[in-house]
Amino acid sequence: MGQTIKDIFSFEEYPRYERIGLLIFIVIILIFPLVVGHAYSRAVMIKFLLFALFGIGWNLIGGYGGQVDLGQAKNVGFGAYTTALMMVWWNTPFWITVPIGMIIAAFESFGVAYPMFRLKGHYFAIATLCVALVWKELFIFWDWTGGARGVEIPVKATADFVHMQFPSTIYYHYFVFFLFITQLLYMNWFKKSKLGYELQAVRDNEEAAASLGINVTWTKVKTYTITGGLGGVGGSFMAVYYLYIDPDLVMPLDLSILIAMTVLVGGAGSMWGPIIGAAILIPLDMYLGAWLALIGGKYGIDYMIYSFIIMIIAAREPKGIWGIVERMRRKG
Amino acid sequence: MELATQLITYGLLMGFIFAFIALGLALIFGVMNIVNFAHGEFMMIGMYVALLISSYLPLDPLVSLPVAAVVGFFLGIISYRYLVQHILRGPMVAQLFGTFGLMLFLRYLFMLIFGPDVRSVKHGILVGKTLSLGWVMLDLSKVVSAGLCLLLFAFVYWMINRTRLGRALKATSIDAEAARYMGIDTEKMNTLAWGIGGATVGIAGGLLAHFYYVTPTVGMLFILIAFATVALGGFGSITGAFIAGLIIGLIQVIGGHYLSELKFTFVYIAYFLAVVLRPRGFFGW
Amino acid sequence: MLLGVKNLVKEFGGVVANADISFKLEKDEIVGLIGPNGAGKTTLFNCIAGYYKPNSGKVFFDGKDITGWPAHRTARAGIGRTFQVMRIMPNLTVEENTMIGGLCRTNNPRVARKEAQEILKLVDLTREANAYPTALPIATQKRIELARALATKPKLLMLDEVAAGLNPLETKEIIQTLQRIKEERNLTLFLTEHVMEFIMAISERVIVIAAGRKIAEGQPEEVAKEEKVIEAYLGERYAKGK
Repeated sequence: MGQTIKDIFSFEEYPRYERIGLLIFIVIILIFPLVVGHAYSRAVMIKFLLFALFGIGWNLIGGYGGQVDLGQAKNVGFGAYTTALMMVWWNTPFWITVPIGMIIAAFESFGVAYPMFRLKGHYFAIATLCVALVWKELFIFWDWTGGARGVEIPVKATADFVHMQFPSTIYYHYFVFFLFITQLLYMNWFKKSKLGYELQAVRDNEEAAASLGINVTWTKVKTYTITGGLGGVGGSFMAVYYLYIDPDLVMPLDLSILIAMTVLVGGAGSMWGPIIGAAILIPLDMYLGAWLALIGGKYGIDYMIYSFIIMIIAAREPKGIWGIVERMRRKG
Repeated sequence: MELATQLITYGLLMGFIFAFIALGLALIFGVMNIVNFAHGEFMMIGMYVALLISSYLPLDPLVSLPVAAVVGFFLGIISYRYLVQHILRGPMVAQLFGTFGLMLFLRYLFMLIFGPDVRSVKHGILVGKTLSLGWVMLDLSKVVSAGLCLLLFAFVYWMINRTRLGRALKATSIDAEAARYMGIDTEKMNTLAWGIGGATVGIAGGLLAHFYYVTPTVGMLFILIAFATVALGGFGSITGAFIAGLIIGLIQVIGGHYLSELKFTFVYIAYFLAVVLRPRGFFGW
Repeated sequence: MLLGVKNLVKEFGGVVANADISFKLEKDEIVGLIGPNGAGKTTLFNCIAGYYKPNSGKVFFDGKDITGWPAHRTARAGIGRTFQVMRIMPNLTVEENTMIGGLCRTNNPRVARKEAQEILKLVDLTREANAYPTALPIATQKRIELARALATKPKLLMLDEVAAGLNPLETKEIIQTLQRIKEERNLTLFLTEHVMEFIMAISERVIVIAAGRKIAEGQPEEVAKEEKVIEAYLGERYAKGK
């Protein structure tokens, strides 16, 4: 038991300056809303933390597992809809809807995982894409989930910790940060667990992993299931933050792609990848992109820049920006 | 009976078109084992070529076809030379997100230039006219498009199997190293595959613009259909792409008739079932 | 009998890679599998260890019928193997690579790590424990593969061309390492090799296959003199000439 606690909280295998960096990062995030009162900036920060959260979950299967999953948005959607619908129908407390959403997402992921993992590489990626699209179209088609109209979560008048609704963004900031830290610690433990090691072995060389007794497919299935569950958490957050969800908001293809690309650019398979990737994309999108759209009606330049970065990274350093950092560190 | 004929005819027509769209994808994958995620965007650009030519010049959008072919050809070649060539050396993950980045880049480039609005080609010989054949009513543009796609598909097929250049391409796709030993310049083959892929799908875009709306995001829709087609037919097989295209066309039209909101869903499900039950597709490797 | 192969046949689309091969391995033996290029040695290994499913025939190991078992099951049953083409995990350290093998026998990564450290001592890799394998020379990487396979606590260790690419000094070292680990860990070794000096030096018994069939079996010196064996390697003329 004590060992597990140590595994969760200990970052000792990271070099000292990374640990210091993480500490500084945490401190900055903690004091941010106390220092910055500007509503838009706070919203940007929340979105950054949300995408970093998404990235951590995806990093398990996409980074440590090496399987490019382009359908994570379906899991976000499962979480979001579970929370939204349960609140609308039964006024369920938020923290009860979260595990249920996670279980639903994990359950579905488990169900599709076995057939999908018979595929490799591109075939697998496209299969994940198709599955997510099928779900999105179903959610649009179904009336009981609100269809294309979406679901509106009833607004509470005052700060409500049971349903996690608050009048001021400051609460949401710490709320999403809490979720982020939780998943970060989980990831930290996961890396050092048996499944974590087996997964990395599978990523690096499937045949060798099999020769060492690892059931390759089962390892991937387990990880994909976990990633599914983790994705649901961010979705649940979205439901109570935006107070309105619909299939185009919580489970579009673009979200899946964004989550995957963010981690790949930042550095898949590393702790910093999701953080770096989100730190580049979200401000780019929310500041440059929004500004240009506003003043000139020009859309998409932020994504253009981002996709250009993606191409360069793919061609030069597939391990992402963190990969560049590590490469320079090894030389110096 | 009339309904069945109508649906089947339409299904086959769309099938020829889908098959032609998928052709470039199958070719590129066959020759160098890489999936071009930007394939749909090449098509989207072809659609814009048709849109621009018909909107700004007093020309029929049909004239845009050769232009779209040339644009697509160069787009393919440039993509290969400046991006794909470099990512081929890297891990599979990089290959995946390299062309993915290209896809996003082109999509948002066009969104920047043209805005996200949906437009359509308004005038043209083929636009908005219908054809009556017995008891079947067909869009003229779809009939001509399907016919042209079929013709061009046959042309490419002939080229691959009967010309020296085509056989060099085929050899490269079977075993690049062996092809090199036989004196084939595989770099040139790779470039050519991208050029042909871009050209064919550019033409497809020009044709599609006659009856489908034009917007920067249309690429994603069609590339998924193309994937489903190629996966069903077998990545790398041109014959497979043809047969699969017909099947997908039928699924889409027939399924779409009964549940029109889910017409693409049926295609995605078909893809999923195809790769799960028969990962290699009918003819692929 | 530790390993028994009976009438094993494996074909690939018309090409028969292994045709009706039968042999036995007893506990504590060191047996070599030799044959010219393309004889089907690696195919045989793969059929036994579970990377290929034999078309027909049986494989028995440690009292169980393991025919057709997938690779991870045979590993758990006690068959360890190394690969002809290096299959190390480049993003894990030497110690972690070895640990992975240990996770076959324990659910606790800490225990696996401790055992990995013991094994690294055994194969003389303690210094390189925290290094990444890709930076290390081939001879060292071979020892990593060995260490990793050892961590699964195998009863039978199958080595696929472990001496390939090694110079004579490195070959000698690996022979010593192999003999040492065999003693320490109570192993049976089954090696396939090209390099004659290596396999003749280390094997107690050799099996010769050519063109998919077993053509000879016995003590190394005797087998080397057999006409069929010389013919397989050098062609008919030399065989007759001898």
